Amino acid sequence: MLFQIAWRNIWRNKSRSLVVISSIIIGVWAGIFILSFSWGMYKNNIDETVFKQLSHIQIHHPTFIEENDSKFTISNIDTIVGQLQADNRIAAISSRVISTGMISSPTTASGVKIYGIDPLSEVRQIALDESVREGAYFNSGKENEILIGEKLAKKLKIKLKSKVVLTFTNVQSELVSGAFRVGGIYRSKNISLDEVNVYVQQDHLRELLELKTSESNEIAILVKDEELLDAVKNYSRTVVSKGKIEDWKELSPELGIIIESFNLYTYILTGIILLALTFGIINTMLMSVLERIRELGMLMAIGLNKRKIFLMIMLETFYLTLVGSPLGLLFGWLTVTLLGQIGINISMFSEGLASYGFSSMIYPALDSQNYFIIAFMCFITALLSAIYPAYKALQLNPSEAIRKI
Amino acid sequence: MAKTIIDAHNLSKTYNKKIVPVKAVQNVHIHIEEGEFVALVGPSGSGKSTLLNMIGGLDEPTSGTVIIDGVEITNLPENKLIDFRLHNIGFVFQSFNLIPVLTAKENVGFVLQLQKMSKEEREKRVLDLLHQVGLEDKINSRPGELSGGQQQRVAVARALASKPKIVLADEPTANLDSKSAGNLLDIMAKLNKEEKITFLFSTHDMRVIKKARRVITLVDGKVDSDVQQIPK
Repeated sequence: MLFQIAWRNIWRNKSRSLVVISSIIIGVWAGIFILSFSWGMYKNNIDETVFKQLSHIQIHHPTFIEENDSKFTISNIDTIVGQLQADNRIAAISSRVISTGMISSPTTASGVKIYGIDPLSEVRQIALDESVREGAYFNSGKENEILIGEKLAKKLKIKLKSKVVLTFTNVQSELVSGAFRVGGIYRSKNISLDEVNVYVQQDHLRELLELKTSESNEIAILVKDEELLDAVKNYSRTVVSKGKIEDWKELSPELGIIIESFNLYTYILTGIILLALTFGIINTMLMSVLERIRELGMLMAIGLNKRKIFLMIMLETFYLTLVGSPLGLLFGWLTVTLLGQIGINISMFSEGLASYGFSSMIYPALDSQNYFIIAFMCFITALLSAIYPAYKALQLNPSEAIRKI
Repeated sequence: MAKTIIDAHNLSKTYNKKIVPVKAVQNVHIHIEEGEFVALVGPSGSGKSTLLNMIGGLDEPTSGTVIIDGVEITNLPENKLIDFRLHNIGFVFQSFNLIPVLTAKENVGFVLQLQKMSKEEREKRVLDLLHQVGLEDKINSRPGELSGGQQQRVAVARALASKPKIVLADEPTANLDSKSAGNLLDIMAKLNKEEKITFLFSTHDMRVIKKARRVITLVDGKVDSDVQQIPK
């Protein structure tokens, strides 16, 4: 009957109970929304980094990244690529020749990272063709075609078809230059990279660098399923025994820091919401207890022990949470599902965010486990909040409580 | 010879001992035998409610002892005292007697459920009691749907539900009109006679005093008189 009394008690003051239920709904909903928004934001960032920049796995000569010198190459590239391509866990594979140098326009110059690519394989690898805003993606058939970022084009004050000169050192450490014509201008979601990355035909760059046709600086691998990452990484080790094989987390540790900081902000914000919820529940339940002092005194007098009084107050909060949490979960799920499809446009902040690789469209997403974590946290918060009012009820002396007006 | 059911010995209660001591009850000795129908009378502030609360184990005496049916309740730990009250003492208060969210039937059955009585037995006892207090047609009404007199009758039924040794009633008719008060007292007197339950009630209502067979008068926390009378 205690369960029945507690359930009926919460409906004695409907508006007050509805306020608590609404607080719980908003608490759960807000927790879900913040988590899904944050997760959507950095998932977008991860996807952007993995699918548009790094790929899942990169293989280099062990000292290439440290020395940043094109002479550190992986040999027998065709055999390796062929062998890896045959593995059905791999979605795309491409090799790249990489150098750093200067790009000069008639008016100015800038430092750049030059990627010698096989245009066709990069379509599958990082969908580079989709980022082209002006001109075309290596369709002229000329070997001196170059694809540059929009920001770099502005900086160099050049347009489509303009001539530029790339200057860099070859593997003999001799300074070489090559004239290129801008065939396309691209804009990715990472503006800072747009300013430094330029793309040219791999064979031409290889020739300028005086590399052998069987040599490349980088092999990029895209796996079909993220869960296969470690297995493919291990397999790659057997194929390229002398290469340094790294996944995207190792290649971009700053992404981990961003994710960590997002997690921290998320927990802080969720904590603030739950704290507000705590005070709301304490206040309401305390009012509910103080209003019923005489009744609680009478219950103690007729034989309800303090443990049961405590349980009754806790049950009342439990019921309120039981009503509020599923509704909060439902509204949260509906919000995430809806916004996950149409997205949230944060273009107001996109200029700043784009420099960190964030898209201006955020698609909130949350896995089912997190829904229940949020609901569970709200549940625990609500029950913890009820402890103080329930404790106050325990402090009552039946004879004094009965005398209270 | 009837056995002593309530034995209050040298009972005192002082409030605000450290600030301004108020002696609510002073060295009271009361012996009540099984089946008695006793009125505790006196002006406001004479210590009636305090004495009742101490006898019922709701309040701790400053000194003295209370023995109910051979058990010294002043020494019982809190949980045992609550359990003792549940099985041995029925209470009727002046107001706020019933659980507002439960029906008359549920209010009476609540105490029996605390005693873990089976559903069938409980149902039978509750209906019997509500019949005895004349509320068989109100079993599914909540307190808010009952008059003050009807609520007090439900409270009496509840007080009797656990077949207690004694029923303590603190000004049970204070908020009732004459007719309801008379009705309630008749019921209490009938139950006292039929079920041999000891009734001790505080009052300054003359209608109640007339019905009692023994009247104990308290003045300034002390027993001023203790007389037997023929109820009218």
